[in-house]
Amino acid sequence: GGYTQSPGGFGSPAGTQAEKKQRIRSQNIVPCTVSQLLAAEQVDETFRIRDVEISQVTIMGIIRHAEKAPTNILYKVDDMTAAPMDVRQWVDTDEAGGENVVVPPGTYVKVAGHLRSFQNKKSLVAFKIMPLENMNEFTTHILEIVNAHMILRKNLMAGSRAPQSFPTGLGDAGGYGGGGSLPVNGLTAHQSQVLNLIKNCPVPEGMSLQELKLQLHNMSMSTIKQAVEFLSSEGHIYSTVDDDHYKSTDAE
Amino acid sequence: MGDVHELPRPRIAIFFLAQYIGQPVCFVGRVEKIHPTGKLFVLSDGEGKHTTVELSEPLDEEISGVLEVVGRVTNQATIMCMSYVQFREDKSPFDLELYNEALKIIHEFPEYFPFG
Repeated sequence: GGYTQSPGGFGSPAGTQAEKKQRIRSQNIVPCTVSQLLAAEQVDETFRIRDVEISQVTIMGIIRHAEKAPTNILYKVDDMTAAPMDVRQWVDTDEAGGENVVVPPGTYVKVAGHLRSFQNKKSLVAFKIMPLENMNEFTTHILEIVNAHMILRKNLMAGSRAPQSFPTGLGDAGGYGGGGSLPVNGLTAHQSQVLNLIKNCPVPEGMSLQELKLQLHNMSMSTIKQAVEFLSSEGHIYSTVDDDHYKSTDAE
Repeated sequence: MGDVHELPRPRIAIFFLAQYIGQPVCFVGRVEKIHPTGKLFVLSDGEGKHTTVELSEPLDEEISGVLEVVGRVTNQATIMCMSYVQFREDKSPFDLELYNEALKIIHEFPEYFPFG
């Protein structure tokens, strides 16, 4: 299957090999609190918050401190859940203006970036820092954090109970090529549920949209169709007798 | 600024004040009244309840609208303010009631929104 490109460049001068691995592994961008990031456990190149793998994250907080250096700007971003976190934004030295504007302390911002750990100290390498214009976004963000972590954890738990469909840990062979399969496989909760049902369908012509709707009480037909469209375009499923019937591309 | 800014400061509404006596907190509320001395002001939360916020130094500027206060809860369940920030409302008003509802959720699920 394919993966969605992350917005913007990576900014970090770390080796491209490591960056590519990360891109394949965690395509989700997960809203987090600073406390969650600080508590994340690291195994090799991977970070996990309560067993949920994370790489690209968003945080929202207030800038307490900003320090400009020739190649980067170092911010301290505070979201009240812990001490302020170091957020580094690499400056594109080829471009004049634009990226080099320092966001002033006292500004609430949304940061999108990658979690890093160096000498046991966590930090973020930001690929996007946006001042908040509407503080209601902050309220939404804190709700999204609870929602995202709850769903990711539920996916994880569901995955470990399902036979063979989802990997139970790092290094398990799974349905996705390259880099090994991981609990958080880049699909939303809806897409995962739809894919799971299709994968486990024993019928030769595959699973029909009507059958999916019957089994997935909480999903509208349009949501199911959207999920099927996405999974099909990514190569996880293919249509069989007609556009209403799908099978999984993974041999079970 | 002071040491509380290096600690977790749970976001609370007035409902939670009594549980956080002596602890660092973060409180968001609307300015209702400012005492003439400038050392005290009253904030309301999303449920319309009021609390008193004390300052060690008098205010040196006008405050209005929605404030986010970082401080410690006193024994009288007021807030001793260490720092504050005004929420910008130039583009959109801040929905304090919705924020209050969000607080209930994050307090209900501390495993998904940990403070510290």
